[in-house]
Amino acid sequence: MADPTKPRASFAPWDRRELPGSFSVEETARRVGNYKWAETKLFEVLGGWIATVPELDIKLRLGTHCYKHAWHAELWHKRLPELREMNPARLTVPANDALVRFIDAMTEPEDASLTIEKLVGVYRVYIPHFISAYTYHLNNTSEITDMPTIRSLKFILQDEFEDWRDGEMLIQSLLETPEHVDRAAAHQAKLEKLMLEAGGIAGHGSIGINTQAPQGALS
Amino acid sequence: MPVEELARDERFNQITQADRMADGRNALIGDSEKSRRSNRLTPARPDASEAARALMHGIFVGEIQALEGAGRTCWDFTTGEEAPFELKLDMARQAWDEARHVEISLKLSDWMGSEIGQYAENTVLFQAACSNDPVLRLAGVNRALEGLAIDVFTTMKEFGEIAGDPYLEFCEDWMLADEVTHVKMGSDWLRKITENDPERRKKALEFQGIVDKMFSYGGSRSDSEESSFAIARRFRELAGFTEDENDHIADLGMQALNERKAQLREKQAAAAN
Repeated sequence: MADPTKPRASFAPWDRRELPGSFSVEETARRVGNYKWAETKLFEVLGGWIATVPELDIKLRLGTHCYKHAWHAELWHKRLPELREMNPARLTVPANDALVRFIDAMTEPEDASLTIEKLVGVYRVYIPHFISAYTYHLNNTSEITDMPTIRSLKFILQDEFEDWRDGEMLIQSLLETPEHVDRAAAHQAKLEKLMLEAGGIAGHGSIGINTQAPQGALS
Repeated sequence: MPVEELARDERFNQITQADRMADGRNALIGDSEKSRRSNRLTPARPDASEAARALMHGIFVGEIQALEGAGRTCWDFTTGEEAPFELKLDMARQAWDEARHVEISLKLSDWMGSEIGQYAENTVLFQAACSNDPVLRLAGVNRALEGLAIDVFTTMKEFGEIAGDPYLEFCEDWMLADEVTHVKMGSDWLRKITENDPERRKKALEFQGIVDKMFSYGGSRSDSEESSFAIARRFRELAGFTEDENDHIADLGMQALNERKAQLREKQAAAAN
């Protein structure tokens, strides 16, 4: 039987978590507020498009994905007060005006004949930007002080990867002619340019490029 | 979003509630008052297989419209201003649930031997989901229509149980659990949002009454054996309906049944002349 009085190391030898992280509490709250805004816009448009998409299998996928992104928004909504933001609405804002323009352009296709454009906007542009911003956050935040955000990021990223794959396969199944490919590529390029201007779902610095060290960062 | 713009592939045939009621094939089976025959959907009915297939197709298209309605509520209202964030989260959850119900209905339809488009799609459900007030949508869809779904799924579950079809019974029971959740969402949000607005609550309940009556399908749902579906009182209570509300819905059903019978008698008399 192990000796209960024998001192053990506070951190097990296999526990390699580090204390330093790139984000202060304030910077984390800002990003989380941006994430909540972006996820909310995504679940809203997915919900709205269900009735406008004639392809039955895609209609059902949109319903499923709508909930997943609503759940992500809910996780971020609940995280904000834990980051000292007692009024979550204050930080539930777009990162910048360019991101609003991106959302306007992404949500523009309404007609039943525009399923390719709808899916390309979400699955080839918007969701990949979630994956990159979340991955950057996951890899740069403190593994000890910010564990609650990391836990949410891991759950959410798993959803994002699955949804991205679902969406990409749906797009591939819709591209039946070279014209369809051109349509998809043109729409993707149009939206990607707007996203370039926005800098990502948390603005410039979403994936660390072109960003200054946030105040209060411990590195 | 106008109901005419609901996106469908070429297999679907859409009709309105008026079309449905004008269809003579939907008349009550036989002269129940004379023959004392039950119209309840049971395996003993001579047309049980066909009636069950038609009902399953009705559930399938109803679930598509419920999915579309929940999704539109996520989109149509500004978060925080026109609809609370948490209400929209509930509607997104409902969209996922309805998507699964469509999948279940598709599998069950296949199991029962029918195909998409074999029966017409009545678009009345989505019409009830088009109100400009989210509270009216909750009253019309979550309380009235999902309440009807509780009645229909209970009947279908019993049908599966009596017919010795555990596959059908199992699936209906799972869908029933979701529907109770959806009705409860509607009951809770209606109470919460209209807590200090009795006028809005009154309007919402009136709208629910209209939808309830519309969905009594000419008396297809009541406590009478002449109706196809019974009122599933126990599950309705779990979902937040009071005994008085259940009695009221049962009365509406009886009223609609009697109106339908009177119409039929008139038509029969006219035909005899």
